[in-house]
Amino acid sequence: MPYVCSMNDEFVQKWKSQVKKGTLAFIVLNVLQGKEYYGYELIEEVKKHTAIEIAEGTLYPLMNRLKKETLVSSKWVEQDSGIPRKYYSLTKEGIATLKEMKLYWKELEKSIKKITK
Amino acid sequence: MKPIVFKHRTAQKIYDDYIKRIQRMVADLPKEDRLDTLMEFNSHIFESISQSQPESEVDDLMEILEKLGAPEEVLIPLKAERKLHQATKTFNPIHVFKAIVLNIGNGIVYTVFAILYLFLGVFVFCIFAKLWNPDAVGMYFNQNGFQAIGVVTGQEVESGEVYEVLGNWFIPVMLIISLVWYLLITFLLKIKKSLN
Repeated sequence: MPYVCSMNDEFVQKWKSQVKKGTLAFIVLNVLQGKEYYGYELIEEVKKHTAIEIAEGTLYPLMNRLKKETLVSSKWVEQDSGIPRKYYSLTKEGIATLKEMKLYWKELEKSIKKITK
Repeated sequence: MKPIVFKHRTAQKIYDDYIKRIQRMVADLPKEDRLDTLMEFNSHIFESISQSQPESEVDDLMEILEKLGAPEEVLIPLKAERKLHQATKTFNPIHVFKAIVLNIGNGIVYTVFAILYLFLGVFVFCIFAKLWNPDAVGMYFNQNGFQAIGVVTGQEVESGEVYEVLGNWFIPVMLIISLVWYLLITFLLKIKKSLN
């Protein structure tokens, strides 16, 4: 019987989901740069830029956490439909925090590039 | 919250059911957070469904809800965080218990806390065991010092291997130990939480 060296798919899947979970906040903060979005629109935007397949509902507890950390602020805006939208935007602290996160990301990118050659 | 009105009865039923599942998940949150979460999911469903055609309403709604995920799963972080906050603020044992269970997935440290609280359960159990079987429960010493808190066999006591030291004081002493233990580990939990 021929010996096939296959990859460990389960391990890769788990790793991918950890990476996604760990970078979601960073992605959201980047999307919110310079523009405010309401929940549904924000998710659409996140999906447009990244191949992230998570349960969309997980984004809302995340937004709640970012709000508690005072990185984003939110406000309800009434609509003609009677069903208001909740708009999110970066706070000053959020902007400064994102800047720091980007620096770290650049560093990480460099070292990953070096070792994955 | 203003509910969404659907054209198809099936869609309406699926929607109502989903909203109920959210309500069940957020029932323990403060009123403001409860409403906020509901409104947020409601708005999401409304915005996505308004892009769909009436004839595909049921299918589209099912897809939207599937993408959103099960409320019982996606809302866990919200609940876990809230419970931890309540638990360490009020020292209420029910909140503490719920918080520990919800947070066990968030790292080994909560498993350690679960074990520490299990000790508390054992202390309380000893109090009841003493009432039930006064001669075999107590705090035991031998010539080397402290041996155990708990239940011993009659044989060990008769042979003089161990002797009980607290007598009727066992229950009050255990009550105090339990209380101090409880306050101590809940205080540790509070510190752990603030380090998160």
